[in-house]
Amino acid sequence: MAPDWQPDFEQLVDQHQSMVFSLALRMTADRGLAEEIAQDVFMELDRNLARIENPAHACFWLRRVAMSRSADALRRRKVRGLDLWVEMEDVHGVHSPFAVEDRASPLSARLEQLLATLPEPQRAALVLRFQEDLTPEEIASTLQAPLATVKSHLQRGLKLLRAKAQCHLKEYVRGN
Amino acid sequence: MDEFERELEFERELEQAFERRPAPPSLKRRLMERRAKETRRAARAQRSWLTWPAVTWQRLAASLVLTAMVAGSVEWRIVEQRRREEAARQQVLTALRITGQALDRMNVRLAARHNGPQD
Repeated sequence: MAPDWQPDFEQLVDQHQSMVFSLALRMTADRGLAEEIAQDVFMELDRNLARIENPAHACFWLRRVAMSRSADALRRRKVRGLDLWVEMEDVHGVHSPFAVEDRASPLSARLEQLLATLPEPQRAALVLRFQEDLTPEEIASTLQAPLATVKSHLQRGLKLLRAKAQCHLKEYVRGN
Repeated sequence: MDEFERELEFERELEQAFERRPAPPSLKRRLMERRAKETRRAARAQRSWLTWPAVTWQRLAASLVLTAMVAGSVEWRIVEQRRREEAARQQVLTALRITGQALDRMNVRLAARHNGPQD
């Protein structure tokens, strides 16, 4: 911990915009909304910059606020998940917000679509576990939830996601 | 491949699938524009905050003067009304006093006339 660390807003944006945007995108499954959330999160960071103590705190703070803002946005706007995207893609050839990314493989994009169909608490736990590589304890701290609850969400979410993958993803069923 | 290995394989797939996505290139530009706009708005709000007391004091002073004028006018009307009533009362009392004195004089004369021949 550097006691004389001075937060630089622009530098923090450069460092963490990908994390904040990805968290919001995976929670909402809506690129436009994810961009809005990312902007809101960084604007809030700007207003609270004086309270940020060190780079790790900045990262933790951004994760927590991004998840909280995403949850708020989801509550305000009922985002429809997989079945919408899978059906639309199958029937109309419409691409999901995840497929727009050129770096994402089709399998990754489809897994993300499936993720969007999970209940919000399970989705949040899985995103933090697999995108941010956090431990259950860190996830509990980020989501301000009991550790047992987080572990339960992780287990159930993984199980459900795997079941959905086996059902919906032909590419994935190779393991069975 | 047993169940445990499949689970591990699935988790590895998830780790790859859930890598961070690059933010849209426009995100930072829009963010910085929005930040600059909010900074300007905050500066404007700060300026207006500094100027509002003068305006408020002017308005407050005008309100006080107006209230004082209305209250003074009402008070003056009440005092004037009381003064008029008092003057009218005094006039009536004076009239009654004059009338009483005249009646007294008449009584004295009448009494003198009745008593005169007998004497």
